Amino acid sequence: MKRALLDLLQSARLWRIWLRLGLQDVRRRFRRSTIGFAWIFIHLAVMILAIGFIYGNLLGQKMGYFIPYLTISLVTWAYLTSSVVEGGTAFLNSEGYIKQISLPLYVYVFRSHFTITLVNIISLSVFFLVAILYSMPFAFGCLWVIPGLFILLATSFLLVLIFAHLNARFRDIAHLASLGMQVLFYVTPVMFPADLLKGRGFEFVVVLNPFFHLLEVVREPLLAGHPAEVISYAWSGAVVALLLGLALITIGRYQRRIVFAL
Amino acid sequence: MARITLQNIDLEFTVGIQTDQTVKSALALLLASKRHSVRTIKALQSVSLAVASGDRIGLIGANGAGKSTLLKVMAGIYPPTRGSVTLEGHVCPLFEFATGFEMEGNGWDNIRTRALLLGMSWREINAKIQDIAAFSGLGDFLDVPVRCYSSGMLLRLAFATSTAVDPQILLLDEVMAAGDASFIESARKRMNDLMGRASIVVFATHNLEVLPRFCDRSILLDHGQLVADGPTSEIVHIYRDSVLGEP
Repeated sequence: MKRALLDLLQSARLWRIWLRLGLQDVRRRFRRSTIGFAWIFIHLAVMILAIGFIYGNLLGQKMGYFIPYLTISLVTWAYLTSSVVEGGTAFLNSEGYIKQISLPLYVYVFRSHFTITLVNIISLSVFFLVAILYSMPFAFGCLWVIPGLFILLATSFLLVLIFAHLNARFRDIAHLASLGMQVLFYVTPVMFPADLLKGRGFEFVVVLNPFFHLLEVVREPLLAGHPAEVISYAWSGAVVALLLGLALITIGRYQRRIVFAL
Repeated sequence: MARITLQNIDLEFTVGIQTDQTVKSALALLLASKRHSVRTIKALQSVSLAVASGDRIGLIGANGAGKSTLLKVMAGIYPPTRGSVTLEGHVCPLFEFATGFEMEGNGWDNIRTRALLLGMSWREINAKIQDIAAFSGLGDFLDVPVRCYSSGMLLRLAFATSTAVDPQILLLDEVMAAGDASFIESARKRMNDLMGRASIVVFATHNLEVLPRFCDRSILLDHGQLVADGPTSEIVHIYRDSVLGEP
């Protein structure tokens, strides 16, 4: 455990290496494609148009509210999903490095987390375009999104850390995790407003779903200009604490064996 | 002062359970509460070794004797199953050329990335990059993505960069080692310089001809065990006898 934590600290210090490798990964994804980074926007825009106009009408939503809601929900959700699914490959994709070069192991976790975060920051900018398009008023309360983003950043890092170990050790986890995230996507109010569940006896789906609260701490400040409900912060805090505990167990247990699992 | 101390190193690979363990097989093992499907390979067995500043050590032995594994333990890549490893000084393993090449990046980018991975600081890279570029002899090709390089050009770039480090502890595996007939004279000289700069060199090789030139001390490994440790000429002799079965 102590060794693993020391490794984490040393890895963080090698920021020049993981920033460079991470940037390289993002660039590689779009290099030699004609429109490059624009794919991030196009991907999101098409999703928003398709889901927005079908479900918006199906659920009888006002577009002026529903489209921005959907945008920020999808962006936030994509961040969590890629942390689990893509972040899970952090060690697997760095196998060549891990086996040939003596760098602390978590350099590759930072690399993967940085890549994922950068791509999602780019797609977050789509929300601001949408906000301008629908001329949403800006309130200083929107700045409450900042603590929310930090909660999300921490959650994402811990997810990458945990799943990177688990995926390297148990190759089924990757499939299980991507299935899990897909199911959670439909269960969690991502593409429908949470209010629709209230009064139908389905409220527990929302209230007891930690992912809903993680979405809320980002969504609510941006859309309504005031902090999310206290309960959402409490749940989010609990999620981070739980993941931190799991991460400590995971790194303590598997860190030394990762190189053999690859 | 650089120093490597290995005390009673055992390294075991458990094949089967670790290369393709699934949740199902883990559960099955748990339920069966036996571990008969696990095969343990003893890659290193009670290896003890002390290396001090100034040492030039050759590692010899048949294929699969544990030379590369021992180097990886020294590099901190493989944590030993039992025993302790104490390293003092910055370790620079040069086991292969290709790691860290970004095919879409140009030559300059790749020099920087590779150099960072080998442990050079940014300032050091800035100071050395012109020399690396010059030695590679690639000229204007350095502005071109390396995916357009021939394998010979890639090798030049990798070699020029890798040999620019100033390591305290240099660990070399066969491929990187000097003495290969395909290396041109300047490459050989550069390799010699590199080995001269390091305060410790450990060098795994099959080339018994070049070994005495570089290493005064050698270690013979067989089936993961340290069989002999002493002056190179003696150890090479023992190895030849054991392999060829003649006096």
